[in-house]
Amino acid sequence: MEKPERLIVDGKRLDGRAPDELRPLRIKAGVLKRADGSAYVELGRNKILAAVYGPREMHPRHLQQPDTAVLRCRYNMAPFSVEERKRPGPDRRSVEISKVAREALEPVVFLELYPRAAIDVFIEVLQADAGTRTTGITAAAVALADAGIPMRDLVAAVAVGKVDGTIVLDLTSEEDQWGTTDMPVAIMPRKKLITLLQMDGHFTGEEFRQALSLAFKGCEQIYEAQKQALRERYSVKREEGE
Amino acid sequence: MLHVQNRELVVPGQLLAEGGYVIRQGAFREGSRIYSSVVGLADLHGQEIRVIPLQGRYIPKRGDVVIGVVIDTHYSGWILDLNSPYVGNLFVSDLLRRKVDLMREDISKYLDVGDVLVAQVKDVDELMRVQLEAGEPGLGRVEGGKLVEISPAKIPRVIGRKGSMLNTLQSVSGCRLKVGQNGRVMIWGDDQRMVNAVVEALLMIEREAHTSGLTDRVRAMLEKLKSEGGE
Repeated sequence: MEKPERLIVDGKRLDGRAPDELRPLRIKAGVLKRADGSAYVELGRNKILAAVYGPREMHPRHLQQPDTAVLRCRYNMAPFSVEERKRPGPDRRSVEISKVAREALEPVVFLELYPRAAIDVFIEVLQADAGTRTTGITAAAVALADAGIPMRDLVAAVAVGKVDGTIVLDLTSEEDQWGTTDMPVAIMPRKKLITLLQMDGHFTGEEFRQALSLAFKGCEQIYEAQKQALRERYSVKREEGE
Repeated sequence: MLHVQNRELVVPGQLLAEGGYVIRQGAFREGSRIYSSVVGLADLHGQEIRVIPLQGRYIPKRGDVVIGVVIDTHYSGWILDLNSPYVGNLFVSDLLRRKVDLMREDISKYLDVGDVLVAQVKDVDELMRVQLEAGEPGLGRVEGGKLVEISPAKIPRVIGRKGSMLNTLQSVSGCRLKVGQNGRVMIWGDDQRMVNAVVEALLMIEREAHTSGLTDRVRAMLEKLKSEGGE
C-alpha cells in the first residue's frame, strides 16, 4: 500500500472514524475448552486469542519463587497474521512485548496467594492491524479473570498517537506507519494507574497530556466491554438451564 | 453499605461494600472499601461477605477431604497428585496411625504409584507444603469404582445444601459416592449403567452449576435413565 496524501480528511480518518473513536470492539470470554481461562478479542481488523493456564506447578523447578507465584507471558504472532509472512518463532520484538505485557498484568494479580506456582499467559495474534500489544493485554486480562485467578482489577489497554498533526485514539496500521507518534497505554481502570506506557515518535508536553487523557477515555470503554464479556459468559449459561 | 445484591454476578475489581464487613472468600479490602477479586456470585450473610468463585484450581486447605493419586514414593511415605498446583505428602505413620520402624518394615506394600486414596489435609504451611493423613475410618486407599474429575469450583454444588444433591445422587442411582474437595469424585455401583448415569449427572452439574432447581433436574434425569431399563 502506498502512503495516502492525507490520513485525516474533514476531521474523519481513513476508516471514517472520529479522532477519539475506537475501532469496533468484540470480546468473548471462555472460548478454549482445555485452557483454565481464555478470551478472544477483535478490535477492528485485530484478532487476538489469549489463554491462561494455572496456577500450576512451576517447571523448571529452579525458577520457582518460594513466597509467590510467577507470571509468565508469551506474545506470539502467527506467520499469517501480517501481510508479508512473518517468520515463526520469537524475535526481538515479540520478546519485548512478552516482557512489557507481563509487567502490565503483574500488578493486578494476587501472585502472593500461590507460592511456588506459575501462571502462564499466552497471547496469540491471529490477525494484526496495529495495536496488538494493547489488544493482547486487554484479552489476557479477561482470560486471567476467566481462569478464576484472584485479581485487584482488570487491565485495559489502547494506543494513542499523532497523525497529520491530530491526536487520535486507537491507530490502524496505516496511521501507525505514516503517523508521527504511537503510544500504547495500559491502565488499571479502577484506580487509574498506568501499567504500561511506551512511546514511538514525539509529543510536546501538552500533546502528551492530551493523548494520555484520550487513552484513559478509550480504556474506560474497553474496560466496560471486558466486564460485559465476563458477565455474558455466565448469564448465557444461566438462561440455558431454565 | 452494600453495593451489590445477594447472588449477584460480580467481576474482579467490582465494589461490593463499604464498612466493617467480614471477608470470607473471593474479596479484598482497600481502606473501608471491599472489592471482589474473582468472577463469581456475591454471597451476603449478615456481616459476612463472600464471593463464590465460578472457576479456579483447587488450593489445599486444612481439613478438606481430597482424593489423591500416588505419583511417587520415598523412604518414609508417598507423594500424591491432588489435581492442584501443589502436591500432597503422606507419611506412613499418617496412613497406618502407628509408629513404623522404617529399618524393619518395607512400606511399599501399603501403597504403590497409581493408587487412589481418600485423604484429609492435615496441614498446609505458608510455603503451601501439604501434609495429608489417611488413617481415619472412611479415608485411605480405595479399590474398584470409577474416578471422575470435574472443576473444583463446582464441588459445593455436587454436595448441595446440607448434602441434598449428594443424597439424591446416591439414593436414586443406588451407587456409593465419595467426593473430594479437589474436584475428584469416586463412584461405586453394581450396575454399570447407573454408574455411567451418575457420571452424566456430575457433568450436568458442572455445566449448570450456577442455575437454580438443579437437584430436581438431576433427579429427573437419573430416574429417566433408571426407568429405561437394561436394554
